[in-house]
Amino acid sequence: MALGRETWRLALKLIVRQPGRSALTMLGLAIGVGAFIAMVSFGEGARKSVVAQFEVLGTNLIKVQNTTPAVNPRARPSIPTGDNEVKLIRREATTVAQVVPVARRAASVAWGGEQRPSYVNGVTPGYLGLHSWDVAAGGNFDASDLTEAAKVCLLGKTNVKELFGDRDPLGETVTLAGMMPCRVVGVLAEKGFSTNAADLDDIVLVPVTTYNAHLTDRPIYAYIEVEPLTKDLLDSARAEITDILRRGHGLEDDEPNDFSVSSPLEVIRAADRTARILGTLLAAIAGVSLLVGGIGIMNIQLVSVAERTEEIGVRAAIGASPSQILTQFLIEALILTMLGTFVGVTLGIGVATLVAQNMGWPRVISPSGVLFSAGFGIAVGILFGYLPARRAALLDPIHALRRQ
Amino acid sequence: MPTPVIETLGLSKVYQGSVGGVPVLSHVDLTIEYGEVVALRGPSGSGKSTLLNILGCLDRPSRGRYVLGGSDVSGLTREEQAWVRLHYIGFVFQSFHLLAHATALENVTLPLHYAGVPRGRADETARDLLARVGLSHRGSHFPAQLSGGERQRVAIARALTARPPLLLADEPTGALDTKTGAEIMRLLLDLHKERGTSIILVTHDPVVADYADRQIFLRDGKVVDTEEAQVGARA
Ligand SMILES: Nc1ncnc2c1ncn2[C@@H]1O[C@H](COP(=O)(O)OP(=O)(O)O)[C@@H](O)[C@H]1O
Ligand SMILES: [Mg+2]
Repeated sequence: MALGRETWRLALKLIVRQPGRSALTMLGLAIGVGAFIAMVSFGEGARKSVVAQFEVLGTNLIKVQNTTPAVNPRARPSIPTGDNEVKLIRREATTVAQVVPVARRAASVAWGGEQRPSYVNGVTPGYLGLHSWDVAAGGNFDASDLTEAAKVCLLGKTNVKELFGDRDPLGETVTLAGMMPCRVVGVLAEKGFSTNAADLDDIVLVPVTTYNAHLTDRPIYAYIEVEPLTKDLLDSARAEITDILRRGHGLEDDEPNDFSVSSPLEVIRAADRTARILGTLLAAIAGVSLLVGGIGIMNIQLVSVAERTEEIGVRAAIGASPSQILTQFLIEALILTMLGTFVGVTLGIGVATLVAQNMGWPRVISPSGVLFSAGFGIAVGILFGYLPARRAALLDPIHALRRQ
Repeated sequence: MPTPVIETLGLSKVYQGSVGGVPVLSHVDLTIEYGEVVALRGPSGSGKSTLLNILGCLDRPSRGRYVLGGSDVSGLTREEQAWVRLHYIGFVFQSFHLLAHATALENVTLPLHYAGVPRGRADETARDLLARVGLSHRGSHFPAQLSGGERQRVAIARALTARPPLLLADEPTGALDTKTGAEIMRLLLDLHKERGTSIILVTHDPVVADYADRQIFLRDGKVVDTEEAQVGARA
């Protein structure tokens, strides 16, 4: 019908000429759509941020620690995690790429007459790769440093900043724990803070052999980190390690483990699940506000049909058919809906951006979420625009004209 | 003998819910030729507007036949009625009934819009008609910015844009002062002469009725002859 474009144009004119009423009609839907987009974005942003924080712990990683059987003081004392466990796993495990013992203690770091408390980790060269930790300057220590128990170290950013300021630490000799000098061969890239707000850059890494020789009197590890051959093998590797250590520790079948074999991935998965549930909840609440926005459109359009009885009667008298009047009101609702949705999308993205900036999480605007809420908004508008439009079309023109 | 523009036979209207089913119109037989100007007179409540609405295809008779331009239109659907109104009938009302949010020009263009005439041509036709009713300078005004006489001129222009053969006017001068009313009547008659449009005019005013070729009197929903009506009016 030739009516099409003209009807759109006239409807748009009517909408523009009554800006107050139009704005009021759109408001609910705009807020609904905006809220939906913002909430979905909050949910995703929060989830990504939580997961990212946990990913610092490493995603392809198994952690072996000894556990103190505090529940039963008369049980025999657990065997501390040490070289024995490292050797057992290295020798017997088939699903494991590398085993990294991590010895750890608090120790002072001193250079040029200045000294600060920090932490020293004794590790193998594989430690950095395992934690996707880069070297910002210099390089990692290597296998020969490990076998020779070389007095070399890598400094975390915090130690570099505090002790060296702007000066270059590479090649300098720092003193650890007031007794062990070692040469700085590398500076670690900045890692930030862990989930429990510990400064991950406040650290010094040395070969574990060096650590055992100079920084401790017995080789006990804080934990042993194990990298499975592939991510898929994570669970089988955990089972295998548990098996090996139970046998190695001579545990009877009815005895509980005196060690734990855990993976940060579990924590990440749990955090992810929780965040997803929260996100879904947010989206559901926002969905309700979308619906309310649609009902708002319906209400105002219904009131508008009642207010515009005379107009509808006049149009009918002039020769507008019921279907043309239906179309007119539907198009009006559709334009208002689209405008409302557009405003809502803009609003939602704006709010999501602002909040993401303030919360320091990534701004995640999923196109599918925007598309869904826009589609849903428009569908709601048409659905709730139809009822008033039908009422207008069915209005008896005489009745409409008599009522003045 | 040419077909009359309007022919009714035993036209009756009973409103549902009216007390005891008292008919508002009963057995109205009318014949109106093309190009006639007919005044419809009668006391208030005699059924003039009801008859006009049926003739204008805004309403349907309860009984009887209504033949418009040779076709029976008594039993049309609402969509079909709309089509007939669009192409055959122009309405002018006592209270103008212009669209408040549309300019004078847009009001006049409206029927052409519903007829699917392209905008350029529709605007041109409407502008010509506005000029013809003496309002070429008022095209972009909204109804609220116009005087009563000007509004009725816009309404007349709107009723005629689609070139209907029949114009129905329900007390077109009823809301205007005598002088303006006379101007409107003169305009209607001039347009009638120029375009050959048949006009049915509802009015209380004998002076206005005198402009018509012929007068039809209604009383309690029945067509009565002049003498009877005057007797009734005196009683
Ligand atoms: N929708 C309706 N329902 C019931 N009665 C009606 C309706 N419309 C009009 N009437 C009645 O019909 C009669 C004629 O009305 P109308 O045609 O408006 O008279 P007129 O125009 O001659 O003054 C009046 O008594 C009026 O009350
Ligand atoms: Mg009347």
